[in-house]
Parts: sequence; structure tokens; C-alpha cells
Amino acid sequence: MSNVLEITGLCKHFGSKQVLSGVTLSVPENCVFGFVGRNGAGKTTTMKSVIGLLKPDGGEITVCGERVTYGGAKTNRFIGYLPDVPEFYGYMTAREYLALCGKVAGMKSSEIKERTDELLRLVGLSEEKHRIKGYSRGMKQRLGIAQALINRPKLLICDEPTSALDPVGRREILDILKDAGKQTSVFFSTHILTDVERICDRVAFLEGGKVALSGNIEEIRRQYADTAVEIQPENPADAAILAEQFADGTLCDGCFVLENASQENAEELLKCILENHIAVSRFERKEPDLEKMFMEVIGE
Amino acid sequence: MSFISGFFTFTGKELMELRRSGRLLIFIILFVLLGVMNPATAKLTPWLLKSMADSLETSGITVTEYTVTAMDSWVQFFKNLPTMGLLLTVVMFGGFFTSEYAKGTLIPLLAKGLSRNAVAAAKTFTMLLVWSAGYWLSYGITYAYSDYYWDNSVVSHYAFAAFGLWLFGVLLLCCIVFFSSFAGSSAQVLLGVGAVYVAMNLLGMVGTVSEYLPSFLTRSGELLTGQAQPSDYSTAVLISAAASVVLLIASIPITSKRRV
Repeated sequence: MSNVLEITGLCKHFGSKQVLSGVTLSVPENCVFGFVGRNGAGKTTTMKSVIGLLKPDGGEITVCGERVTYGGAKTNRFIGYLPDVPEFYGYMTAREYLALCGKVAGMKSSEIKERTDELLRLVGLSEEKHRIKGYSRGMKQRLGIAQALINRPKLLICDEPTSALDPVGRREILDILKDAGKQTSVFFSTHILTDVERICDRVAFLEGGKVALSGNIEEIRRQYADTAVEIQPENPADAAILAEQFADGTLCDGCFVLENASQENAEELLKCILENHIAVSRFERKEPDLEKMFMEVIGE
Repeated sequence: MSFISGFFTFTGKELMELRRSGRLLIFIILFVLLGVMNPATAKLTPWLLKSMADSLETSGITVTEYTVTAMDSWVQFFKNLPTMGLLLTVVMFGGFFTSEYAKGTLIPLLAKGLSRNAVAAAKTFTMLLVWSAGYWLSYGITYAYSDYYWDNSVVSHYAFAAFGLWLFGVLLLCCIVFFSSFAGSSAQVLLGVGAVYVAMNLLGMVGTVSEYLPSFLTRSGELLTGQAQPSDYSTAVLISAAASVVLLIASIPITSKRRV
């Protein structure tokens, strides 16, 4: 599997502020890639560098094997881009705007028409006859995805596509992105971790101008497998019995917690509960969630 | 996408924008009015003078019979167009570039490979097209009425004088292109163009320099009466044309480095 996007050692500063100091990551084909970081971490800067709207101080970016150059980036023919707050020409209809985008992308008019119908159906705007100026934020975001996909890009870049939307709008956008991910690679930034968990195959955490952690979500989960077991006895005093048997465990709020518990540990714990006739109201094997991983990565 | 197809696509978009926003209609209406106003004012002059005759008489001015000629109409043209006409045009196009940068509407298109030069060229072309259309429409109306009511042949070199004024307008539009390549708002662009205009007028006060300045093209009084010849204006024409080209060329590298 080849990589659609490869970023190596990307550096960028604005004035005295070093925003990116050696970002390295790669997005393989047909993958939904979540790019996570706090506000101001440099997600937009990275994305704008990929589409050649910003000039990096150092490092290399290749898209489909071709090097990205600043200014008239030729590699943009492989890319569809959705800015964080997309602004369109309010006096056009969605259809007219997509036609403009298609022409700019160098498509034939018959192809534009066909693709426009297809995309407007995908983003749920095919019945919309009004001009863009009356659109809600969610509708603009959906049109934004449609314009980004018009020339069947190999890589779809979305800058925080869900951050300003209500729960319904967010769900719609995520579903569209997931759908789009079947035909193209999706590289999207966000600070909403549940979005990543819902649709991404891979993730990268950006912190301190570098990628602090990246890879397949499942692998990362396993790697960071802080799979604690938490037991809440009916009688809080019983937790102490467990603590006696398992020296690694800790007591907390009447619960017994065993960090980094293996499968065997869990079985032993269950056996111990049975032998000591402890009434248990909750026995929980904790899944590592991204939020915890993220907090750990950014050191908070 | 090639520069040429980008240019045509974006010019189409600009014309649609001007049409749908209603700005084109307002612009054309105002320039038609500016055109009609010149012969109308000339036509009304005797009537105005007559109606004011009594009050003028008490202040010691006697009004004799006044014969209106095409000259009066053309004098009005060369009074109104360099002021109201140019002001209207510059104000309308002051934010033509900067508003797109400010709103971020260009980003999706640039990300699709539209060249910045194609955008700048399309915008420049649209401005020149609209200015020329409005201006020559105004000219045509003044010409037709003046010839219908009176006789244009008593006026010398009005076509050349009109060309000079048009060229001066072109220069101001090129100033907009130049200032827009780095200015952040339409206010800054207007300030820049205003500063150029004022600077030219101040320099024009220095006797010997004035005829080399583009602003010399707006002084057409002597041309109309035949006291001056078009050849007297050749330096100002050349300098205006050269300055326009230089401003356009200078804006190219600045625009391409601009952060969007």
C-alpha cells in the first residue's frame, strides 16, 4: 500500500513563534486519517502547507509521490480541500458553484454535470434551489465537502469539518466523510476525539509542533493498553480483601483498581471474588479511550 | 489549469458577481445619468440664467442673451467625469480584490489549482471592461445629444481629450491592482489611490513638471478650444500608459507571495 501523503520534518514559524518543528506523518491509500491537536497546535498550518498555500521553512511534503511546491502547487490536482470556515460566493447556487469548481479543476462540462448531481445527492443538497447566501453553517460545510470532491481527488483534506456544527450536522458530516473514505483517503483535523473514534482508521496527535503519536487506532489502543480492571463491591470494606491479595492494586472511593491487568490477572481476580463471597455491583474492564491517550500524550 | 482557461473562467465569475449583486446595473445607470446630465445642464443654462436674472441684476450683474453651443455640453462632460465618474469607479472597485482575500472565498479555488495571476488578470480585465463600458457609454450619450441639439464641430479634439481622461481612469484602476496586492482592506486601497491622486495634484502645482504628469490628462479645457494640440499631451499619455503597465507588473510577484 503506497502513501498518498507523506510529510517529513515539516517546520514553520510565524514571527518568533515556532508552530511546527519537524512534523512527520504519512497517510496511506483509502484510509480515514484523524489529525488531532489542541487549538493552535498547528493543524491548519500543516494542512495549508500541504496544499501549497503556506511556505514551510523546512521539510518535505509529497502527494502521490510528487513534491509539493509553494504557490501554484501542481500536486493540488490530487487534492480536495475543505477550509475550516469555508466561504463561497453567496450569489451562486450550489450547482453553479460546483460548476465553477469543476471548470477550475479542468473538467469537461458533461463530466461536471454528472459529478455535480452525484455529489449533491451525497451531501444532501440536491433539492436545494436557493443561493448559497441563505445556507446554514452545516449546509455550507456539506457544500464544502462536495466542492472538495468534485475532481475525484486521491486525498481529501478537511480542516476541522465538524467543530462548529450541532450534533445532527456533525453526524451528517462524519457519515459523509466515512462514505468518501471508501473512494479516497481522508485527512481531517479535529479536536473532537469521539469523531476520530467513530470514523478514523489511523490517527496522529500533534503536540509541541511535532507528531507525538501516530498509527493505526487499534494498534495504538493496544500499545497504550492501560486496560485497568475496576471492581466495585456492594460493601466498600470488601475492597480491602482484594487489595490484600493483589499488592499492585489500589483502593479508591470504595473501589478496587488494578492497573495494567492481564487476562490472567482478571481471571485471578474473579476467582478471588468467588472464594471470598464478595458481592460485586460492578466489574469493569476499562477500554483505553483516546481522550486519556491524548491527555497522556500532551502531558496533562 | 492553464492561465488562459483560469482567466476566462474567473472573468465569467466576476461578471456574474457584478450582475447578481446589482452593482453593474447601478454603475451603468449612474454613467448613463452622467452622460445625460452634460447636455441637459447645457440646455438648461439659458433658462437658469433667465430665472436668476432679477436677483443678479440687483447685485449689479446684467445678464445678456446667452447662446449655448456643444462646447457647454462638452465642458460639462470634462467636469463631471473626472470627478464623479472616477470617484464612483474607484470606490466601487476599491475592495474588488481585498474583499476576496478577507473572506477567504479564493482558497477553495486556489486549492484546485487556479493560478493567482489568472485571478488578478481576470479582476483587472473586468475592472477595465466595466470602466470602459460606463465611460464610453457616457461619452456616446453626450456626443449624440450635443450633436443633435447643437454642432459638435465647434469643439476641437473632444475625442482625444476623452481618450486622455479614459487613460487616466485606467491608471487609477492599475493603482487599485497594485495596492490590492498587499493591502488588507478596501480602505487601505482607497487611501493608497487617494494618496497617488493628491500627490499628482500637488506635484502639478510645480509649473514645469505638470505636463509630464498623468493628471495633466484631466485638464482638457485648452484642447477643446483648440489652444492646445494632442501632441502637447503625448508625454503625459506615454507616462500614464507606462506607469499602468509597471504597476501591473510590479503587483505580480507581490500577489504571488501574499498569504491567503
